[in-house]
Amino acid sequence: MVMNNNISIHKKISNSMKSLVARIVLFVLYRGIKVLAREDSRIMGEFQSWPDGLSVVLETSYNGPSISLQKKGDRLVRVSHSENANIRITFRSIDAAFLVLTGQIGVARAYAEHRFMLSGDICQTMSIVRCIDIAESYLFPRLMTRRILRKVEKKEFSTIRVYRKIFVGV
Amino acid sequence: MFVPSYYEFVNPGKILSGKYALENIASEFKLLGSSRVFVLSDKVLNELGQVKVLCDALVSGGVQVVGTFVDIPADSSIEVVNRIAEIYRQANADSIVALGGGSVIDTAKGVRMLISQGGNDIMKFVGAEVLPFARHVPFAAVPTTSGTGSEATAVAVIKDGARKLKMEFISQFLLPDLAVIDERFTVSMPARITAMTGLDALTHAIESYSCLQKNPVSQSYARSAIMMIIENLDKCISTPSDRKARLAMANGSLLAGSAFSNSMVGIVHAIGHSLGGVCSLPHGLAMAILLPHCMRFNLEKCDEDYAEILSFCISPEEYAAVPRKERGLKCVEVVETFANAIAHDAGLSLKLSDNRIDKASFEEVAARAINDGAMIVNPKAVSKEDVLAILEAAY
Repeated sequence: MVMNNNISIHKKISNSMKSLVARIVLFVLYRGIKVLAREDSRIMGEFQSWPDGLSVVLETSYNGPSISLQKKGDRLVRVSHSENANIRITFRSIDAAFLVLTGQIGVARAYAEHRFMLSGDICQTMSIVRCIDIAESYLFPRLMTRRILRKVEKKEFSTIRVYRKIFVGV
Repeated sequence: MFVPSYYEFVNPGKILSGKYALENIASEFKLLGSSRVFVLSDKVLNELGQVKVLCDALVSGGVQVVGTFVDIPADSSIEVVNRIAEIYRQANADSIVALGGGSVIDTAKGVRMLISQGGNDIMKFVGAEVLPFARHVPFAAVPTTSGTGSEATAVAVIKDGARKLKMEFISQFLLPDLAVIDERFTVSMPARITAMTGLDALTHAIESYSCLQKNPVSQSYARSAIMMIIENLDKCISTPSDRKARLAMANGSLLAGSAFSNSMVGIVHAIGHSLGGVCSLPHGLAMAILLPHCMRFNLEKCDEDYAEILSFCISPEEYAAVPRKERGLKCVEVVETFANAIAHDAGLSLKLSDNRIDKASFEEVAARAINDGAMIVNPKAVSKEDVLAILEAAY
């Protein structure tokens, strides 16, 4: 019997590249939502409705890059990885996460295609999904958002301003 | 036919449908290695003697009924599930049969989940597709209404009594091993319940046919369901003892259940769940009231799907006479006319105002509706203002 547990070079490179991209996009998404929670009235409203201490983990696969966030007072902060998060979204593969994080499919389509598993209260997650949809309206080009979002929300200010705050902080 | 770039489909368990289906549960359970059955039902069915009919069939088939729990409320809760699991363990049972409507079957799914996974609280399994496979507990669901389709769904909705919230559990491991359709249990259903549950099943079929998660298999199931319901629901109301029509409706409900379990439901259910939670409006009635209004709302995104649904509802000649561009809207009108006729025959009103719904509750209903999990797969994005407009139209 031939054992075949070695991953091919091609797949290894693909996984590494996708993990790298996922790491970058997760950072931008976190910073984007953090900025927008202070500046966009709709995300601000959603964020304020979350219970204090709510913890959310987004995992790009069972062993891929992940991000753990928590609402602390009126701030969204990054925290160390927790096994007991209130909401845990785990993509079923790095490839599935890559589709969403690079704007090839939206969160609604990803849910419809069973691309991720969700542990926690689905109602609470709906608010987070709306925040991600609005954040994507700012962060992704309109050509892309028109294709992946069911409704492209109007921006309350420019994308450049959001990116400036994400990377420069002012 | 639409083929998505990717989809998944979980088939329902083995279907036993028709005459003496009930009597075959025992032999199926023996094949599954079970001999000590725990029966779940509700008070009404127990008083009507239906639980006895079930137990007779099981014992005659050679399995033991080692315990029964017939106090499941209409709006079951986590606390009830945890309590039944304890009684199940004390009885040393090895399998479950649920006889009842959606609440009984969903409660049984919760009990089975807890027995299978171990532990004392099912709350840690809340969510979508996170439940791991564990110990197999043979489980048969025998629906007594033709509406929820719960016997063929991978979903359980159970109330968290402490927080007054409905918690959703979604997993392929919730599916019963056996979906048992025996028309003996549905012939005694009153006209109002028949109408409400039947229109609930129609809503499952129509929403699943046009939702974001639709796929060729779910659409095939939904198509058959729509045809069976359109053809038989009025017969079940005009001639309650029509066993052929009752059996067809029960099958339509099962198929619609399997369809929506895989492609999910959308805005009608999201608003309906909230109307149920805030105003205690019966689920089936909420579906019947909201369906045409929500179809109008979704029309711009679902025009093609609705045009196809129209072809299942009217004769080929009538269909051909409708101009292509008008078929989607015509479908909405046909569904509305059908729902109104059924409601009229059953003595129901399809207006919120006639069902003691206070306009003052609309704000809360809308706020809850946009947070319902069903909204995520609705083809068109829905805002709170959209929900308020639909509620106004349905008033």
